[in-house]
Amino acid sequence: MHRDEIPPGTLYLLILKTLARSGEMHGYEIANSIQRISDDVLQVEEGSLYPALQRMLIKGWVTAKWGTTAGNRRARYYELTAAGRKQLALEMSQFERVIGAITRVIEAV
Amino acid sequence: MKWLRELTRRLSMVVHRRQFDADLEEEMRLHLELRKQERIESGVTAEDARAAARRRFGNPTVLREKSHTAWGWEWLEELVQDVNYGAWAMLRSPGITLVALLSLALGIGANTAIFSLMDTVMLKSLPVKDPARLVLFGNGLDQGISDGFPNPWLYSYHFYREMQKKNQVFSDVAAAFSMTDRAHGSVEGRNDAEPMNIQLVSGTYFPMLGVEAMIGRALTDEDDRTKGGHPVAVVSHAWWARSLARDPSVLGKKLTIGSTVFTIVGVAPPEFFGTRVGEAADIWIPLSMQKEIPPGWDGYSDNMFESLHLMARMKPGVSMAEANSNANLLFQQILRGFSGAPLTEENLRKLDKTRVELNSMATGFSRLRWEFSEPLKIMMTVVGLVLLIACANIANLLLARSTARARELAVRQALGARRSRLIRQLLTESLVLAFAGGALGIAFASGASHLLVRMVSDGRDALQLNVPIDMRLLLFTLGVTLATAALFGTIPAFRATRLNLTDSLKDGRSQPSASAKGPLAKTLVISQVALSLVLLVAAGLFVRSLMNLTNVDTGFNKENVIRLRVDASSAGYKEDVRLTGIYRQIEERASSLPGVRAASFSIFTFNEGTWNNGIWVQGYLSGHRETSVHHNAVGTGYFAAMGIPLLAGRTFGPQDTATSQQVAVIGETMARTLFPSGSPIGRHYGRGGPQNAGDIEVIGVVEDVKYNSLEEDPQPGDYLPYTQNVRYLNDFEVRHTGDSAVVVAAIRQAIHDVDRTLPISDVMTLHEQVARSTTNQRLVAQLSTFFGLLAVFLSCIGIYGLMSYVVTRRTNEIGIRMALGAERSQVLWLVMRESLWLVALGIAIGVPVALAGNRLVKSMLFGLQASDPVSLLAGVAVLLVVAGLAGYLPARRASLVDPMVSLRYE
Repeated sequence: MHRDEIPPGTLYLLILKTLARSGEMHGYEIANSIQRISDDVLQVEEGSLYPALQRMLIKGWVTAKWGTTAGNRRARYYELTAAGRKQLALEMSQFERVIGAITRVIEAV
Repeated sequence: MKWLRELTRRLSMVVHRRQFDADLEEEMRLHLELRKQERIESGVTAEDARAAARRRFGNPTVLREKSHTAWGWEWLEELVQDVNYGAWAMLRSPGITLVALLSLALGIGANTAIFSLMDTVMLKSLPVKDPARLVLFGNGLDQGISDGFPNPWLYSYHFYREMQKKNQVFSDVAAAFSMTDRAHGSVEGRNDAEPMNIQLVSGTYFPMLGVEAMIGRALTDEDDRTKGGHPVAVVSHAWWARSLARDPSVLGKKLTIGSTVFTIVGVAPPEFFGTRVGEAADIWIPLSMQKEIPPGWDGYSDNMFESLHLMARMKPGVSMAEANSNANLLFQQILRGFSGAPLTEENLRKLDKTRVELNSMATGFSRLRWEFSEPLKIMMTVVGLVLLIACANIANLLLARSTARARELAVRQALGARRSRLIRQLLTESLVLAFAGGALGIAFASGASHLLVRMVSDGRDALQLNVPIDMRLLLFTLGVTLATAALFGTIPAFRATRLNLTDSLKDGRSQPSASAKGPLAKTLVISQVALSLVLLVAAGLFVRSLMNLTNVDTGFNKENVIRLRVDASSAGYKEDVRLTGIYRQIEERASSLPGVRAASFSIFTFNEGTWNNGIWVQGYLSGHRETSVHHNAVGTGYFAAMGIPLLAGRTFGPQDTATSQQVAVIGETMARTLFPSGSPIGRHYGRGGPQNAGDIEVIGVVEDVKYNSLEEDPQPGDYLPYTQNVRYLNDFEVRHTGDSAVVVAAIRQAIHDVDRTLPISDVMTLHEQVARSTTNQRLVAQLSTFFGLLAVFLSCIGIYGLMSYVVTRRTNEIGIRMALGAERSQVLWLVMRESLWLVALGIAIGVPVALAGNRLVKSMLFGLQASDPVSLLAGVAVLLVVAGLAGYLPARRASLVDPMVSLRYE
C-alpha cells in the first residue's frame, strides 16, 4: 500500500489534535492513532514523534507523566495543557486558511 | 512571562539530564517493542518483526540527537567537552603547561600588583568630598620646621589664619602640621605608653575636606580657638580597631599624651587616612594643643614658626588661575604685614621673587609619590615587557601544539566534523589555559601587592597603605592574555583546517605547515630574546648602581652600632638640665656595660632629617657672612660610637659644660670652605646673627659624613655638645662588640634603671638605618633582577620549545644524514647553529634597544652611565650562555638519534 508523507509542519497539528480527541496517550498510541484515523494514508516516521514531543514539552503545550499501559508496562503519557489547546486552535485555523486557499486555487475554473 | 517558564523548563532539563536520557531511552524502547509485538501477532517471525519496527521507527541515534537539540543546550555540552578536553591536553604535557601557567600568573599578577600600588600611591583620589576642588600651597615635599623668609612651602599658624580671613577664592582654608608627630601616649586604664602617630591639624581641617566622623564628631574650628584650651582628639578607624578593639563606648575615653589628658570626641570614617599618602595618622589633635603634645612645639603664636602645610577648597566657579593669583597677592601682603618679620633689604628682594605655587590636591600629596613614582614607572614597564614575553611564550606553545595536531584535525575533518566546530574547540582549549593562568595571576597579585608594600615600607615605619587589587588592570592584563591565547590558538586551527586533507593524512610529519610555522614562531623567539636582553641590561645597571651606593663612604663606621629612640619628651621631661642629666646618666651606664665600647645621644644619625641654620663666621673673607650648615647636638662619646675619625684638635670632653666656653667640632668640608686659610682650631663662628660671630670656638675637625642620602655631595656640618645646646635628643647610639641581642637587652635595662617610664622604640642597627635609605634602589634592583631572569628563563623555554619541535620534525632527515655518514658533532652543530642564529639576531636587535631604552632610567643610576659596558656585556653573556644551553638540549637529543629507529619511525 502506498503511504503519503505528512505535509511539513503539520506534525504538531496532528499530535495536538490526537491528544485533544483522546486525552492521555503515550508515543506508540499517538503514532497508531494518527495512522488508523487517516486510514493508513498518513505515515509518520514513528521515531520523529519523539523530538516533536520534546519541543512541545519545552513550549508547554503538553505535559508528560509516567503511567502503566494495559499490558502493565511503564509508559510516558502525554496530555494537552491549556496552552496546548490554544495552540491547537491556532494551528487549526491556520491550516484551514491554507487548505481553503489551496482548494480555491485548484478548483477555480 | 511565557519565555521565563520556558527557560525554567529548559534549565531543569540541564539539571536532570540523566533522567531525561533514561526517560527518552525507555520511551523509545517501549515503542519499538510494542510495534514488534504487533508484527509478531500478525504472524511474522520475531526477526522480521524487529526489522520492520526499526524501519518504521527511523534511526534512534539521530532521533535521540534531535530530541537533545530541541532543548537548545548542545553548545553547552560541546563547551563542557572542549573544556574537559583542553584540561586533559594540558595535563598530558605537564611541564610545558606548568611553565605556561606560571609565566601567565607572574605576568598578570606582577602587572596587577605593581599597577595597584602605583594607583594607590599616585593616582587615587582622596576619600573626601569633591577632591578635585582641593588645592595645596606648594608641593608638600618639605617637612619640618623652618624660620626661612620667605617660605612658600611651609607656613606659620598666623599666616594660615590671615589667609583664611583675607582670601576671596576659597570656601575654606585648613592647615596640618607638616610632620606626623610620633609621640607616646597611654589609653585610660592602661599602664604602658604606646607609640602613636599624631597629626596636628587646624580646626577647619575636617570641615574643609568634608569628612564627617563615623562615630561622634570631627574637629571643628571651635576646637582651635584658645592656645592649650582644647584637649580633644579624633582617632582613626584603624587605631580604634587596633588599639581599642572597636570599643563602641569610645567617645569620652581619656588619652594621656605627655602630661595632658585628651578626650576622644570622634572616630574618623574607615577610608580616611589623612591627606599625606602613606603616612596614616592614628590621632588628630587641634593645632591649638601643639605645646601640650611632646616634643612641645610652640608655633601657635610664633609668626616665624613655619611648620604647616596649607590646603584649601576653591569656591565653586573659581578657577585654579584665579585662586593662584589671589593666593600670591595675599602671600606678599601677609608676609610684609607680620610683626617681627625680618624685612631686611635682601629678604624683601627675595620676597619679590617668591611665588606660591598652588597644586591640585585631588589625590592627596606625599613624599612617597615623589620618591617612588620613578621606580614604579620603571617596574611597570619591566613587568609589562615580561607580560609580552610570557604572551609570546604562550603563543609559541599553542602554535606548536596545534600544529602537531594537524593530523588529528585532518582526520576529524575527513570524518565530517564542521570546520567551525574544530576552530571553536581549539579556541576553547587555548582559553582554558589562559583562564587557568589568569586565576593563578589573581591569586599571585594579591600576595604580591602585600609583599610590595612591605618592600617599599622597608625604609620607615610600616607604610599605612591599603592596596586593593586594581580591577581595571587585572581585566586588562587578563584580556591581553586571552586575546593572545585566542589569536595564536586559532591561527593554526584556521591553517590546519584549510589543509589539503589527503596530504596531512598521508603523513603527520613532514607537511607543508611545518615550514609555514617557522617564520612566526621564530619571530616570536627573536623578539623574546631581544626583550629579555633589554631587561637583563637594565637589571645589571640597577644592581651595579646599588653596589656603588653600598660602597659609598658614609664617613662613619656603620658596623656594630645599635641605635634606638628614647622619647624623653613623652615621659614628661622638659628641655632643661634635668634632661641632659638623664642623658649623661644613661650614657655612663651604657658605656660601662660589658661589650659596649661607646655610647652617646644625638639628634640624628643618618637619613633622619637635618637641623640647618645660618652661621656667621668671624673674619671669613671680608667681614661676616651667613652660610647654612647642618647641625647636630651630641654627647661626648658620639664620635667614638659612630666611628667618625678625628682629623685635628679634640672632640668633646667633660670640660665642655653648660657654663664653659661654647665649642664645636666641625666637618672637613666646613673647615675647608669656611676656614680656608690656616687651621680652623681656635677660630670662632656663631648662630643667630652677625653679632654672635664670636660665640662658638672650633675645637676639632672630623671627617665628613653623609646626612640624608648616600648620593649627596659632601655637606658642611658641625657638632655641638648637648650640654651647651639643651634639646630633646631622640637617637641613642651604642658601639658594641659581640652579640647585638644581648647588648640591646642590657641597654634597655640600663635606660630603664635610670627612668622606668622612658619609652624606647625603633631599635635597629646603624647598618639597617643606612640600608633603609636605599630602599628605593634596592627595590628596583631586586625586582628588575627577578623579572630580568624570569624573562631570560621564559625566552629559553621559547627557544627550547621551538628547537625541540624542529628536531622532532627533522628526526627523519637527521636519521638519513647520519645513515649517510654524518658525525654526531655535525648533527649537534646543525641544530645548535639554528638556535644560535635566533639568539644572535635577538641580541643584535636587543643591544640598540637596550642602549636607547636604558637612557630613560639615567636618573635612577648612581656612579655609572646608562651605557655602562659592563652591564651590557654581562647581559649579553648571560643570555648567550643560558640560551645556548636551551638550544643545546634539543641539539643533543638530535645527535643521539639512532638512524635505524628514526627511519623506521615513518
